[in-house]
Amino acid sequence: MMKRLIVAATLIATLVLPSLAMAKADLTIAMDAPPKSMNPHAYSSDANYSYMSNFFDGLLQRTAPDGKIASALATEWKRVDSNTWEFKLRKGVKFHNGNKFNAEDVKFTFERMKDPKYSRFLNMGNSIASIDTPDEYTVIFHTVKPVPWFAETMPQMFIVDKESSLKRDDGDYNTRPIGTGAYIFDEWVKGSYLRMHANPDYWEGAPKYKTIEMRPIVEEATRFAALAGHQVDIVNGVPLTLYDRISKMPNIETITRPARRCIYLQVSNKPGTPFADKRVRQALAHAINEDEIIAKVMHGHAAKSAQIPDVPTIGYDASIKRLEYNPELAKKLLAEAGYKDGFEITLAGPNDRYINDEKICEAIVKYLSRIGLKAKLDVKPKSIFFDETANFKHPFYLIGWFDGSYDFGRTAEKNVHTWDKDKGMGGYNGAVYSNPEVDKLIIDSASILDRGEREKALQKINKMVMEDVAFIPLHYQEDMYAVAKGKGIKFSPRPDRWVVAKEIK
Amino acid sequence: MASYIFRRLLQGLMVLLAVSFVCFCLFRYTGDPVLMLAGKYATQQEQEMVRQAYGLDQPPHIQYIKFIGGVLKGDFGKSYISQVDALDTILERFPATFELALSAIFISFVVGVGLGIVVSIWPTGFMSRMIMAGSLMGISIPTFLIGILLVMFFSVYLDILPSFGRGDTVMIGPWRTGLLTMDGLKHIILPALTLSGYQLAVMLRLTRAGMREVMGEEYIKTAWAKGLSPFKVIMKHALRNVMIPVVTIAGLSFGELIAFSIVTETIFQWPGMGNLLLTSIFETDQPIIVTYIMLASTIILSINIAVDLLYALLNPKIRYD
Repeated sequence: MMKRLIVAATLIATLVLPSLAMAKADLTIAMDAPPKSMNPHAYSSDANYSYMSNFFDGLLQRTAPDGKIASALATEWKRVDSNTWEFKLRKGVKFHNGNKFNAEDVKFTFERMKDPKYSRFLNMGNSIASIDTPDEYTVIFHTVKPVPWFAETMPQMFIVDKESSLKRDDGDYNTRPIGTGAYIFDEWVKGSYLRMHANPDYWEGAPKYKTIEMRPIVEEATRFAALAGHQVDIVNGVPLTLYDRISKMPNIETITRPARRCIYLQVSNKPGTPFADKRVRQALAHAINEDEIIAKVMHGHAAKSAQIPDVPTIGYDASIKRLEYNPELAKKLLAEAGYKDGFEITLAGPNDRYINDEKICEAIVKYLSRIGLKAKLDVKPKSIFFDETANFKHPFYLIGWFDGSYDFGRTAEKNVHTWDKDKGMGGYNGAVYSNPEVDKLIIDSASILDRGEREKALQKINKMVMEDVAFIPLHYQEDMYAVAKGKGIKFSPRPDRWVVAKEIK
Repeated sequence: MASYIFRRLLQGLMVLLAVSFVCFCLFRYTGDPVLMLAGKYATQQEQEMVRQAYGLDQPPHIQYIKFIGGVLKGDFGKSYISQVDALDTILERFPATFELALSAIFISFVVGVGLGIVVSIWPTGFMSRMIMAGSLMGISIPTFLIGILLVMFFSVYLDILPSFGRGDTVMIGPWRTGLLTMDGLKHIILPALTLSGYQLAVMLRLTRAGMREVMGEEYIKTAWAKGLSPFKVIMKHALRNVMIPVVTIAGLSFGELIAFSIVTETIFQWPGMGNLLLTSIFETDQPIIVTYIMLASTIILSINIAVDLLYALLNPKIRYD
């Protein structure tokens, strides 16, 4: 037996030695979520956009660090009238397979978005009535109804090559991306890594790092260990609980930036429930000590919010103030509304979606019971929770929101407008808040062409719903990154959390 | 005998059918994939469109019959997320899990049996007591804790072993292996140790119990009396007879290690099937989940049936009926 073992060991050793070690990538980035698909329209999450943004370009792009909109595959764009958008395309751009980029590719890309088989952007696809291509480098979109944020969403709509997309089977299309982006796809070993190399002919010029490996590491402790063990250069999603330890580590630089996502409570005003009384909604808001939540639950890594949109969003209104923490006032308001002895209230929420979501819910339930309400907690996995809110099961729940279009109008259509199946409004207004006056303002705002006027209209909507306590805003999350020191890596995080490799210098 | 085999196989098929039905129903009612499939801004009508496109508007029993019909043709459906064949997606991950399970079994077998012998020869020594205490810990400490402790010690503190991933791999035909590169071997050590923890303790204890029983037998005393070397007595005469239950357990647990390496794969970001299952659960990717469970049940069932049949062959005293 011993002899055989020795033979086996030598055999393994001889096999091991000649195998060539693969060259290490110039830059290794640990990501907190894996890529789902290499079809750029298969998944509408920041994580997937983040990967795709390296292989593909949109007609427009957003730049770090402030998320300003800039030209990409389109050089000029304008809103011709309320239902028409015109884009002039960049000339001389080539796809990674050598195919020329032109208006046909753009038309094909947006038409494919209507097909549920390839697209998670059905809403985008279906909002387009027709696409004209008067010449090779001009595209005119006619939308079904006014879509004021049409251009603002372009950075998320990656353009694919018509010719090769039509030829390839689904398996190939969904695993091997062909775009115009700064990086060319090498290999994707699912669950392991995504390897890419610089596109020497990129229209913005070749990026700095020649080869890049993106490695999804979902488990927080493992991500931390990879960083501590010098196996990765950049980490997105530094876990909150480990932040203090990581920031003390030598050779590691931590970067934090306010995130765009606002965590808030969505409140119903359904007639016949205690929520119908505005004083009750105000009482709920006054009962919550957000400072304490930020200090104790979020370890200081969050910023108090007074409204859903964040500063760069059109519709943000600096004059909106939070309802301050005042449990005595809350009790008084409840008594005035006729609920001196309180009532039963259930706070629903996810427990695996946002940073410390379950703990935030627990804290809020405690605050609510302190003002005399019989508060109950109903937290569950997001896959079930989101399903329930979409079916209007909860009148009062915790949720997070940020809008990739930087336009409060789109949010308002989904979260504020009364649910209207036929118009496609209010699909995420799961608590069923309804205010006909606000509804009208939302519809009207969509046709405003002037950006300044539109901003005013959206601010008005924002202010009205906050005064009516349709939401109780809690805080904006914070994004945390870690970068290896001493390697000369210049990385500035973006508001949308994308890791765009061409921006790393 | 033939009818016994036939009956066992039939039973196996029935179990598989039941398993598939239960998990199919279960996942139909936990989370609705339509929300995710249609995208964040989709209207109700668009969600209906998706529901129809994916056949999710049909009653569960029809969906189930369609699924089984597909399975009989070898088609397990496509992943909702990647639109790639579900079975292919899982099989692509199989080599990683298989190699991890193989290494884990190898470690637990070699170390477990080895230590078992040591402990049975010097039952009262200090080292033996330490080993026995250690094996108790192996049984009682949860896998994720062992994994994290190993990472903290070997990767973070000592910085000698990598903490995640598979390292360099090479392709041998369709099989992607990490066992043939130095980097790959380095990467497999910690996860394999973690996964082997429980099995190692079990094998140690089995070997010890068996050895202590056998060492008292007359034929061992005879062997000693004949003046054979201790190595021969222990390895050849005693250990052989102890190995039967140990090998059985190793075989049975191999299937389980393949199917349930989920925790270990998550901690070490091992790109295997367990990791895939967990991600798919988070994404309500039902085709992958159902296919995975079917596949795992098939593996475990086949190993069980094979063991049963082997027993029947080896021991004629076992009746076939």
